[in-house]
Amino acid sequence: MSTEDDDLSALIRRHATRHAAPDGLRAGIRTQVALEDARRAPLPASQAAGAPPRRWFVFGWGTASASFALGVLCTALLIPLAPRVDVAGPVDAELVADHVRALRAGPLAEVMSSDRHTVKPWFQGRLDYAPPVFDLAGEGYPLVGGRIEQVRGAAVATLAYTHNRHVVDLFVWPSAEQRAPQRLLQRGFNVVHWADGSMQYWAVSDMDREEIESFTRLWRQRAAAQ
Amino acid sequence: MSSRRTFETLVLPHLDAAYNLARWLLRDERSAEDVVQEASLRAFRYIGSLRGDDARAWLLGIVRNTCFTLLERQRNGPDLVEFDDAEFEAALGADHGGGADPAAQLEQRRLRTQIDAAIRALSPPLREVIVLREFEDLDYAQIAQIVAVPVGTVMSRLSRAREKMRSVLSQSNPGALR
Repeated sequence: MSTEDDDLSALIRRHATRHAAPDGLRAGIRTQVALEDARRAPLPASQAAGAPPRRWFVFGWGTASASFALGVLCTALLIPLAPRVDVAGPVDAELVADHVRALRAGPLAEVMSSDRHTVKPWFQGRLDYAPPVFDLAGEGYPLVGGRIEQVRGAAVATLAYTHNRHVVDLFVWPSAEQRAPQRLLQRGFNVVHWADGSMQYWAVSDMDREEIESFTRLWRQRAAAQ
Repeated sequence: MSSRRTFETLVLPHLDAAYNLARWLLRDERSAEDVVQEASLRAFRYIGSLRGDDARAWLLGIVRNTCFTLLERQRNGPDLVEFDDAEFEAALGADHGGGADPAAQLEQRRLRTQIDAAIRALSPPLREVIVLREFEDLDYAQIAQIVAVPVGTVMSRLSRAREKMRSVLSQSNPGALR
């Protein structure tokens, strides 16, 4: 290599922009890989020959999230078989089904960004209301992105967050009601519902109670500070 | 080790390198994120083909192939990625203050902008060898493997890329290179 080349190399290495992967991307990939891994797990043929047997009794995060994802998959497969007594059904069941379908088949986010100034404008022209969007990365719940779900024929803003490899979907649509947060359990998923006089919110996740309640608290604090 | 553990421990640490390559090859952040996500899932699916190899070079190979597939699909658009004004503005607005000499900081930013623009001005095949060589510090053989061309081609592309960058830089900043 010539001296000229060395000089140019030094300039590039010292000054050119290095782009670091956004956190949301990392989280998104982790989630998708976990789900794909779990989808493959029940097929013995896909296990590498000679691989040691899985030690299911060891409860690590790998096992935990794999079995969560497996549960998601089974739930998703069984939902269409469940008898629909009430055609309308409770809305929380529908939201859980949407959450499960997004995890299973994607997309979790049609606009993938941890930047609320990217996600919020994305809803413009897609909805007839402007949902509030906050990133809670600093509090441990980074925003992955947003998407639109059809809930009872209406387009509903859906924000996806991750927390310790769990995903929480927050469905937001207008409501004049005021309602303190209320938690219910729907097929093992935690659902927290509240309304602030402008919007109503439904958070759906397999996170445990404390985590989803902490998410709710953080979100409400952030909204109140606006 | 399970596929997932292999992926998490060997492949995922190179996500920044993967994103950097995609970001330099493609027009915007969104495409780069999409490509890296797609390439990562592909890497996970074919993790069995990674055998004690260099995981970084292996992942970068998948990323560049995914990028070039996308670029080919976008062929109707211009081949060269335009200089990104928004990014330039952001770069100018970033890291104000901090105690250091403001004139020196301005000079640093100016240099960064010029060098970035010179890299952007390269065609994708030349740009990728520069990124792999200068950002990732890969050797000719590794680059040849990633790009799937002979080592001789890597060397000639690198020398063409450098020549081009030098001519762009000598116009924008005659003092940067002796």
